[in-house]
Amino acid sequence: MSDILSTSISGLLAFQQALTVTSNNVSNAGSKGYSVENINLREAVGQGSATGYIGSGVNVQSVTRSYDEMLAAQVRSSQSSYSAFNTVATQAAQIDNMLSDTKTGLTASLQAFVNALQSVSTSPSSTAQRQVLLSQAKAVTQQLQNYQSQISQYGANVEQQIGNTVIQVNSLAKNIAALNAQIKGAEGGTGQVPNQLMDQRDQLIDQLSQYVNVNAVQENDGQMDLYMGSGQALVVASSAQTLVASPSSTDATKLNIGIANANGSATDVTSEITGGTLGGLLSTRSQVLDPTQNALGQIAVGLATLMNQQQAAGMDLNGNPGQPMFSVGGVLSAPSTANSGSGTLSVTRTNLSQLTADDYQLSFNGATWQLQDTTTGQAVPMTGTGTPADPFLAAGMSIVVNGTVNTGDNYVIHPTAGAVSQLAVLLTNPAQVAAASLGASAQGSGNTGNAVISSPTVTDPTNWTPGNFTISFTAANQYQVTDSGGNVVTSGAYNSGTPINFNGEQVAISGTPAAGDTFTVGPNSTANTGDNTNVLAMIGAMGSKALGGGTASLHDVANNLVSATGVLTQQAQANASAQQTVNQSATDARNNVSGVNLDEEAAKMLQFQQAYQACAQMIQTSNSVFQTLITAIQHG
Amino acid sequence: MRISTTTFQNDAVAQMDALQVAMARTQQDLSTGLKVRTASDDPTGMAQVNQLSVLVSASVQYVSNSNTAQTNLQLEEQALTDASNVMQSANSLAVEANNSALTAAQRQNIATQLQQELQSLVSIGNRTDSAGNYLFAGYASSTTPFTQSGSNVTYNGANAVVQVQISENQSLSMGDTGSTAFMNIPAGNGTFVTAAGAGNSGTAAISPGTVQDPSQWVQGTYALSFTDPTTYQITDSGGNVVASGTYKDGDTISFNGAQVTVTGNPATGDQFLISPAGTSSAFGALSNLITTLNSTTLNNGQLATQISAAIKQINNSITNFSNVSASVGARLNAITTEQSAAGTNQTSLKSNIGDITNTDYTAATTQLSTEELALQAAQESYASIAKLSLFQYLR
Repeated sequence: MSDILSTSISGLLAFQQALTVTSNNVSNAGSKGYSVENINLREAVGQGSATGYIGSGVNVQSVTRSYDEMLAAQVRSSQSSYSAFNTVATQAAQIDNMLSDTKTGLTASLQAFVNALQSVSTSPSSTAQRQVLLSQAKAVTQQLQNYQSQISQYGANVEQQIGNTVIQVNSLAKNIAALNAQIKGAEGGTGQVPNQLMDQRDQLIDQLSQYVNVNAVQENDGQMDLYMGSGQALVVASSAQTLVASPSSTDATKLNIGIANANGSATDVTSEITGGTLGGLLSTRSQVLDPTQNALGQIAVGLATLMNQQQAAGMDLNGNPGQPMFSVGGVLSAPSTANSGSGTLSVTRTNLSQLTADDYQLSFNGATWQLQDTTTGQAVPMTGTGTPADPFLAAGMSIVVNGTVNTGDNYVIHPTAGAVSQLAVLLTNPAQVAAASLGASAQGSGNTGNAVISSPTVTDPTNWTPGNFTISFTAANQYQVTDSGGNVVTSGAYNSGTPINFNGEQVAISGTPAAGDTFTVGPNSTANTGDNTNVLAMIGAMGSKALGGGTASLHDVANNLVSATGVLTQQAQANASAQQTVNQSATDARNNVSGVNLDEEAAKMLQFQQAYQACAQMIQTSNSVFQTLITAIQHG
Repeated sequence: MRISTTTFQNDAVAQMDALQVAMARTQQDLSTGLKVRTASDDPTGMAQVNQLSVLVSASVQYVSNSNTAQTNLQLEEQALTDASNVMQSANSLAVEANNSALTAAQRQNIATQLQQELQSLVSIGNRTDSAGNYLFAGYASSTTPFTQSGSNVTYNGANAVVQVQISENQSLSMGDTGSTAFMNIPAGNGTFVTAAGAGNSGTAAISPGTVQDPSQWVQGTYALSFTDPTTYQITDSGGNVVASGTYKDGDTISFNGAQVTVTGNPATGDQFLISPAGTSSAFGALSNLITTLNSTTLNNGQLATQISAAIKQINNSITNFSNVSASVGARLNAITTEQSAAGTNQTSLKSNIGDITNTDYTAATTQLSTEELALQAAQESYASIAKLSLFQYLR
């Protein structure tokens, strides 16, 4: 009889525990990171007898959680990807918004500048139109600077967020390492899995995945190791590495991520950081902010170079050669702080057409110098030796190396990033707009042919002199150009309309000249306040394909920037949205294993309740069997 | 298959969130009227819109340029008409003066009237546009182009004029220089000019002459001299006789493909000079005539020769004004054509921009209704499924 009683009592206790587990499941139906727990019951070892083994009740073997490590890993990796793309998309959308206005955007204000040049060309002597031109020039510089300061702000924000994120990652890593130790301790003692600590750790790893992509590897003793990127350890057993954000060796305004070493130094692991907010912030910096800043710089350099060149080829209202219209920031270059040599670079822009919006790294391997385009990763061929007499020439730049350089030293070069910060209109007086040509031409009074001469355009202001030249036709199809001393400067066969070049200037004669006809070319007269030759050349320069190796005008570069930012934003948004969907379905799949289903729990509750009642009834039965026996003995 | 209660809740919320985001987006399309608001909405479309907007802006500027050019060219056209009228009345005065019966006093009277015409012509040449820039000074737009000293008028302007862009591919001269309109006018018949010798004592006069056969004409200076009142010979600059013959009043004399008519009675030894034509100015035509008419030393033959040369020169000026005027007219036509083309072009560019950026209201409204329906369905199904729980039946 005692067997019935003890068997029933074991059932009673087991189902009480089962109900507790169910109750715990129901209570945690809304708890984040909670994995549904199941009670595992097993029949107790039976007692042998002559008639066979009779069971002796039920034991609670374990309480386990429903958990699938693979599904959890999928949730984490999609979470990392989503966070990264979303970070990029959020920042790119801000730039996209900033650049996208078709009415007040960059292409519109560049066109407004061209329109102002056009207005000067119709009334070259009008101070009012010249003033409008200068105001428009200021408006363009102002706009570029507004963009630049927005980007700097975004950049500063990104750096701050990188710093904050690193703090979060460190704190999470430390907590995970601590939990590893606790889990190991708990398991070692009882052989039972501490479900609550495991849930807690999984949830921390989930949180960490939002900040950086990690691979989790479970060890035999229940501890979980975390690795970043291509295998950089973050947490190993119960110890966590500390990430440090410190200024980059090549650009002090940017933070790089390192792993702190025992001696206080740090090993740079920036390239190991992928995914998560941290990966997204690093991508934002390299894929959104830097390229935008460089492209704006390229536009500033293009505008300043084209206008300043043309100003130099013209004469202002006061009769002086044109002064530069814009100032623009120079090439930024810096030696890496890791360099052992003391060498520095002097870099200047030499060729607008070859200049790119990329960044470069110049390095010395002990024997040769190498220039790498760090935006594209391509090696860039250079000519020259880097001395002042024979500078390196590459990518539209001239590079001179000063001081001592040791093997392994390297330098970063930003050809356009610093341009906008110094962009300003230098002309203060409307009269300084050099609308007129430096030169003027006239035809001889005794000419008998019907040929006419164009106004000279100065193509090379540095070689132009204000001398008087005579173009005379030695025959109807033969001309020669003589200077004021009668020396022949150039001569050739005449073709109607073909430009004749000398003295850094260019004229075209068209029509039919007669032998003996003469034309004179000399400095322009101050009286020619209505000459618009040079302002027409400025309009031409603004529309010319002067950038990108002769493929793009300023407008094209500005427009490309807008559409490239648009494409980038669109892609980042699409990727973020796709990863969100992936994450959603991975989360669903995980929850379908680990989540609580209340109907299921209700059914289990009924099941366990009924079993508990049945066991209680068995005790009652055992009692009545015992009573029957007692009664039989009393009556007997 | 098992689904957790959280999954059900999360999915329902995510669905409704997504539908609300889509509805907000459609609603924004409808309320702003724009389906492309930033480059990321349609990067290629936005790049096109930027390019098209630049074209619209440039086109508006070209129209503004051509308006300025139009105003100036119309002023120039008026000035040329006025100048032509001055020369017409000068011509009448010259014809009136070309009469041997007039006294010196009468000729001087005509000269005084011509002096007035000369001043009118100078003032026309010095007209300005609305901004005070001289119409005929070329690049030297603030320099008075014509200055008069006595009866001598000089040109101080430049020999080039402002080129104005009136469309992407078309530029035109916004005006003409004073030298083109007033100064560089072909003299005489365009090939040679004739003059009476200063020492002529007869009454014969020579016409400005014509070139009949340009292929036979040899450029050079010739002298037509009378060896006696009825015999002439023409010699070139080398002293070679190129033609000779007998003369009677009103004869047309031909040589080297050219013809001159001599009228009146030459004296023995009288000479007429035939020299290559250069250029002359409209002012020169008047001031030469004034000098001729004021002269008290010229005989009738010399007078007649110089007056008829002056009439020729006045007519040359009128022809020149009308040639320049025709060229101005052609430019004005080009401007009108371009302005009208610009109008059409701007309309079509704006419509292209609209096609890319503007919301298709029909499509957007339909989409909004669809999204509304979907959201409603999601909400209702959630509300009804959420009520289902086994626990409800266990009370």
